[in-house]
Amino acid sequence: MSVTLDHQNVGQPAPSSGGDVMTLHDVTVHYPVKQGVLQRVTGAVRAVDGVDLSIRRGQTLGLVGESGCGKTTLGRVIAGLVPATGGDIWFDLDEALRSRMEHLRSVPAESMTAQERSEWATLQANHRLGAMTKERQRVYRRNCQFVFQDAFASLNPRQLVRDIVGRPLRVYHEATGSDLDVKVINLLERVGLGPQHLLRYPHQFSGGQRQRISIARALALNPEFVVLDEPTSALDVSVQAQILNLLVELQEDLGLTYLFITHDLGVVQHMSDYLAVMYLGRIAEVGPTDQVFTDPLHPYTKVLRDSNPSLEGDEVDGSAHLRLTGTVPNPIDPPQGCRLHPRCPVSQPECGWQVDDMFLSLETSTPASFDAISRVERSGPFAAQLVMADDASARHLHDEITNSRSPFGRAVESITLNGANVSIRLREVEEIPLIPVSPGRMSSCLLSGRPGGITPPSESR
Amino acid sequence: MSVETPSDDWLLRVEDLSVHFHTPRGVVQAVDHITFEVRPKETLALVGETGCGKSVTARSIMKLVPEPPGEYASGSILLRSPSTGAVIDMLTAPMDQVRATRGDRIAMIFQDPGKALNPSLTIGRQLAEVFGEHRARMLLTQAGIDPDHAPVGSGAIASQRAGVIRRNFFHLTHPGQSRALRAAVDDAVINALSDTGIPNPRKVMSSYPHELSGGMKQRVMIAQALACDPDLLIADEPTTALDVTIQARILDLINDLQQRRGTAILYITHDLSLVRQFADRLAVMYAGRMVESGPALEVLKAPQHPYTQGLLAAIPRAGTPRGQLAAIAGSVPQLVDPPPQCHFSSRCGWSAEVCTTHVPHLIGLPGERKVACLRFEQASSIGVEEAEMPLRAAHVEVGP
Repeated sequence: MSVTLDHQNVGQPAPSSGGDVMTLHDVTVHYPVKQGVLQRVTGAVRAVDGVDLSIRRGQTLGLVGESGCGKTTLGRVIAGLVPATGGDIWFDLDEALRSRMEHLRSVPAESMTAQERSEWATLQANHRLGAMTKERQRVYRRNCQFVFQDAFASLNPRQLVRDIVGRPLRVYHEATGSDLDVKVINLLERVGLGPQHLLRYPHQFSGGQRQRISIARALALNPEFVVLDEPTSALDVSVQAQILNLLVELQEDLGLTYLFITHDLGVVQHMSDYLAVMYLGRIAEVGPTDQVFTDPLHPYTKVLRDSNPSLEGDEVDGSAHLRLTGTVPNPIDPPQGCRLHPRCPVSQPECGWQVDDMFLSLETSTPASFDAISRVERSGPFAAQLVMADDASARHLHDEITNSRSPFGRAVESITLNGANVSIRLREVEEIPLIPVSPGRMSSCLLSGRPGGITPPSESR
Repeated sequence: MSVETPSDDWLLRVEDLSVHFHTPRGVVQAVDHITFEVRPKETLALVGETGCGKSVTARSIMKLVPEPPGEYASGSILLRSPSTGAVIDMLTAPMDQVRATRGDRIAMIFQDPGKALNPSLTIGRQLAEVFGEHRARMLLTQAGIDPDHAPVGSGAIASQRAGVIRRNFFHLTHPGQSRALRAAVDDAVINALSDTGIPNPRKVMSSYPHELSGGMKQRVMIAQALACDPDLLIADEPTTALDVTIQARILDLINDLQQRRGTAILYITHDLSLVRQFADRLAVMYAGRMVESGPALEVLKAPQHPYTQGLLAAIPRAGTPRGQLAAIAGSVPQLVDPPPQCHFSSRCGWSAEVCTTHVPHLIGLPGERKVACLRFEQASSIGVEEAEMPLRAAHVEVGP
């Protein structure tokens, strides 16, 4: 299903050094769900479910989404802290290698020539996470560092700042003894601390200072890429501003590439060059930050933007904004088609309505009909046979669905009434991929390319 | 201890309140001589960063600060009844009166709905407790029982104090009344729940907190808080633990309920951008003191205190060049036995000699605004030389 990010399409021209620090193709992370005495695997939490993304050198990619959308897991996969269960992640590909990799990936293994096969093997050994040689793995590890959200939990309370910040240097045999102290002091000064902090424990610092220590540790090995996982969400605004300024200054001085993970739209708008919006394990929209904010292509982005309280603009009546209904679905069994459709304010019949959506809406809108369902025989997500308690409630349900003008009602392909049995078949929809909409912008909403886009019809306001 | 006061239009008046905490390291002056009032039907936002004393202030109003280690060192918290004009002081009133006021006339929503709900009781039971505590007579009347001649046991059942044996015994002896009483409780709970837009309240009523999402739990908390139609609702960062999309819906809900019921809201938050949409008036706290107050939009448009200015400038927004956020240098001072000074002086760009020796007082400005900064003070009124004073603030025209 996946559509690969076409490099020419994505965002502004790449900086002179060019290329991608990381390239993700159809990456999935599924955590097994185990049940019973034997701990049998009964399903999987689809934390990240088919993500295509490339992180360009020298730029900041903002990754936004609500809690549970998989943004932290994606960050961890990219940093190599969590293995991906599917797809491939490539490190440090330049333009030429990237197009070569894309070409080779599309060739089935059995039809590769011997030369292609060896080229593919070399490419993987040098650039692909999980298949790299040991030396390349070390290069990757040095160059990809992580700043964690909670600076209270990510610093060892029993270690001195010297040991915390100096640890990566020691592991990579960069420095020892007094040489190490000098290097650590240099790092501390870089992040706005000083030699007086060298022999202190983490608990002696405030939240902002701790985050500075985390940043110093991440920078110890002179990486080119840093994953920042909500680095300021535990901080007050005045301290947050200090840390954000520091991060920008470091990026300019050291030419760093950032993956900035956050739920705070104000911060991400300020920090990132381009933006990826995640919902329920998938990317909803990718594009240059200012364009995504001014003209969102995906309704989820629009809802996020409108929900974010702002200090600017005219007095707005909150009800004029788009709002999502309901709650985030279970990532063990995410909705078919577009993941947002059960909650989407502008959903269409083609969005992937399924039998479960019917139960959900019945349960909240007409509990009486819901309670009257006595048995359900499913045949796939799009078809089911319902056995109702009596003929009257079956007829009632049948009429309710046939007369419904909602997107769900229009997605019904056939519904038949047979005594107390109602069989229903809905339009089958594939998972909706991320589609390029305009140069540099991609969206996984069906409406994005259409005239009128995601502007809601006036009656649904 | 009710006293009659002149009929100004106010609901809650906090006067000169100080709350101290006695710790092994010294006395923490968490709240230091603050004064403010909440008027009927308005929303007052109390804004400040971590540790500025805003939550302690909120808890003091409910008299929920534990003593010891806490101590109400000075001041009074006056609550006036809008109908009769009778005033009680929460700090000196007898405990049974305080208990009757909590949850009935002042209600509170806490930051983390997951922690504020009891995990071992169903939502229905928890809401019934509120009605039992404050509306037992109403429940009895609705069940067709005369509260003054109620059969033995029915009073305890209505106030949710009866155990399972007592309930079952009553059910055997008075089956009709028992059923009516249950129906009355359920109806009250369902009405409260459906008022907050919870779909299918009957199902939610019988579920436990862990079965609900964060937004739903916060709705339950709101239902619980507004069950008795309080005059004042204290919302202590009600949306901090929630995602933005859920936050927007909860704020819409609180707003809507306020419009319908005319509840006054004391809204405590660290997020200035929420204040703009939501509050009539704004009070900014820093290190236990109130530094600025006034009509919300005007304070946000033209902040006068250096701290408010810094706080607003530190918020990233569209148009700020990257890396040039106006951060406030330094960090919040420790409040253990603090010296008599302006607590912001160490981080303030205007700070002068006198700022480290004098405590600034709230000074009235035009347009109902107040600011506690020595830049607005006359040198003569605090008895120092003009040369020691910080650069005087140009009095910015405020108000319409």
